[in-house]
Amino acid sequence: MDGNCTRREWLLRTAAAAPGAYLVGSSFGRAVTAPTAPVAVAKCKTYEPAELLPTLEKIFDQLGGLGRMVKGKTVAIKLNLTGAPTYRLGYLPLGDTHYANPQVIAATVHLMGKAGARRIRLLESPWSTADPVEEYLLQANWDPHEVLSAAPKVEFENTNYLGRGKKYSRLTVPYGGYIFPAFDLNHSYEDCEVFVSLTKMKEHATAGVTLSMKNCFGITPASIYGAGAGVDEPNESPKGGRSLIHSGYRQPSKSAPAEKDPTSPRDGGYRVPRTVVDLISVRPIDLAIVDGVKTMAGGEGPWCRPPLTAVNPGLLVAGINPVNTDAVCMALMGYDPMADRGTPPFERSDSTLRLAEDVGIGTRDLQRIEVIGTSIKEARFDFAAIRRQRLLSSPANRTS
Amino acid sequence: MRWPRMWKDPSALGLLKGTAVNYLLVERHDDLGPVVDRARQEGFKVTEAASPPAGVTVAEGKWPGVKLSESGAVDTAAAGPTGNPWVDSNGWKVRLTAALHPGTEVWVEATPKEPRLFTESYLTAVADAAAYGGRWIISLDKQLAEGIAGQKTEALETWKKITGAAGFFAARRDWSDYLPQAAMGIISDFSGQNEFLTHETLNLVARTNQQYRIVLKTKVSESSFSSLRAVLYADAEPPALELRKQILAFVQAGGMLITGPKWGELSGVLATDEHPRYTLRTFGKGRLAVAKADLDDPYLVANDSVVLISHRYELLRFWNGGAVGSYFTTAPDRKQAVVHMLFYASVRGGDPSVRVAGQYRTARLWTLDRKAPRSVEMEIQKDAVELHLPPVSQYAAVELEGWSPRGSFGRKE
Repeated sequence: MDGNCTRREWLLRTAAAAPGAYLVGSSFGRAVTAPTAPVAVAKCKTYEPAELLPTLEKIFDQLGGLGRMVKGKTVAIKLNLTGAPTYRLGYLPLGDTHYANPQVIAATVHLMGKAGARRIRLLESPWSTADPVEEYLLQANWDPHEVLSAAPKVEFENTNYLGRGKKYSRLTVPYGGYIFPAFDLNHSYEDCEVFVSLTKMKEHATAGVTLSMKNCFGITPASIYGAGAGVDEPNESPKGGRSLIHSGYRQPSKSAPAEKDPTSPRDGGYRVPRTVVDLISVRPIDLAIVDGVKTMAGGEGPWCRPPLTAVNPGLLVAGINPVNTDAVCMALMGYDPMADRGTPPFERSDSTLRLAEDVGIGTRDLQRIEVIGTSIKEARFDFAAIRRQRLLSSPANRTS
Repeated sequence: MRWPRMWKDPSALGLLKGTAVNYLLVERHDDLGPVVDRARQEGFKVTEAASPPAGVTVAEGKWPGVKLSESGAVDTAAAGPTGNPWVDSNGWKVRLTAALHPGTEVWVEATPKEPRLFTESYLTAVADAAAYGGRWIISLDKQLAEGIAGQKTEALETWKKITGAAGFFAARRDWSDYLPQAAMGIISDFSGQNEFLTHETLNLVARTNQQYRIVLKTKVSESSFSSLRAVLYADAEPPALELRKQILAFVQAGGMLITGPKWGELSGVLATDEHPRYTLRTFGKGRLAVAKADLDDPYLVANDSVVLISHRYELLRFWNGGAVGSYFTTAPDRKQAVVHMLFYASVRGGDPSVRVAGQYRTARLWTLDRKAPRSVEMEIQKDAVELHLPPVSQYAAVELEGWSPRGSFGRKE
């Protein structure tokens, strides 16, 4: 590809020169026909319930209301609690930097209960443990009761292993899969009628950004896909992270489907975005909620290479379609959602958004996405500028 | 201190001037005779290395710190069962030895295994015993002993820091009289067929930073269980009738018993919640957690106990501490508390912080490198204070004052 031309420009040129029939089944063909749904954006400066709750309620209403989506249904919410709860960025609470904030979780649960959800299940596969999620939260200095009491019939489940299920749910990738043809997951991802990804607006060391789609990387049980996964059968005492997926140094437990092509690149920038798309295809996201009130710039957690900065974009974003939602989030972060490998923030990875668009999950083209509420221009918080500054001041760019 | 064999010149005793070293363990060698004579003249107590003096119990320890890989590669740490670095510490052994031999001083015998150790490693050795009320028998590696004898600047600097650290704890002997704060009591005779499991459980419970109390089953009294949330009884034989009654009274009053199938007849009724490895029962106001299989894996026993009790009730909670060890004690009158913290990893990132259950008015930070304490930023939380520590090395202690009986651990004893 011409280095002076973005992939989108290249596709447009190619498309202009090609007969219409050529587009059918092509990447660009899927891009122009990929689904689109409104994305709601609101400014929210603090996690104070007096500001947060009405703001969240408003953006859910702008999407058509939660009642339409959750009334009488079992809702599963995948939280974003990445990394061990004993890591902090400086002295800041985890919910102000890299965990989805507990107030956002509680407010969402409350509004779902109010909208008539039959049962609300809060899911996470926490770092290296099969302990109850509640215990994990306590280590982060959160009181799980505050979330559990926000609505009737609320419960947590640790999905890092078999959990309360009798067996793993085997879910098949409808398009065959980029990396995996199917996954064995904790029952919770099958036993729900509405699936919500509630995440933090962040950059990501491997995948460029982590938003509603990348959050679902963590639906994989470490018992099968973790560093300590059993070779033949799942290890029900899960240990370690998901380096197995990142680098492909080994296969999941043999009881689960192996990856399609063990000769494919063993590069996290290739594998992680593709695996994420495979995962959100087996367990589609019905509602994406992105907490950008307070977060961090420079990586997905305090373990990333410094400099890392706590930031306060003061934003809440929600959408029905995760690709659309993540595309709007990228724009809000000052990035081009049409960017791909080689262009920030995807210097070393493929774009999860492009890969998801290619398989028809949703468009990342802002021109095809309706933004409701605050405009992108009004709400933008420029992570990209912070990134440029960071790169300029990095030792590699300093002259002696 | 263990007198280095190569220090044959009595003038080397001058190195001890003004330090807290008052006892010399000397190997029987004719050529050390002049040293022994001079030492006695100068008021040092001298004994043969193989025979500790009366009133002292020597605990055989390990060199404390993050354990290196079997290959000895300095850049590779051996991993614990969770992938976290494995830490060797003698703190639990000091406490157990003190409990088993009340009224005696506990000295820790841990000699350097490496040909040369960093200064920081020595400071950890001093603090790892002293924080828990023991004394490390200062033992120098050959290279350091040679360097000190040869008046090498770097070696003398290390020596100054080692004796400085020993002096720090000697000046705070009253801290040794402080009482351990605990959420869990571990009941056993800690001997015979119970030795392996209970000793290793003490070691691994300490690694979780769960604060525990050692309860000798022959010495249980009413106060043994005061302020505890739970007790662990993991001995191979069922408890004697009287002990059983005492433990069940604790449970009935709201405590938790964690035990194995050998406990015998079960009281109470099945609880509704489930645990993969324990059957849970309610009894009176409290609960019993009875392991479904024999308790034989100390790692599981230690970690399960923390979760069975719940992190909600932990007395100390760390962030960015790395491989941290801790010991939380209060003065007998409860007016002061000290949180001892040992940072075993030599490289740490981030800003460490610790949440201490209870309410306090002031906090002062002591470190080995400063003569005066520093103030610490303290955030008041519900039932706790959170202390934001500056970058600290090897050892730090926070002295807290103004305890008030509020919060989870404000229960009167």
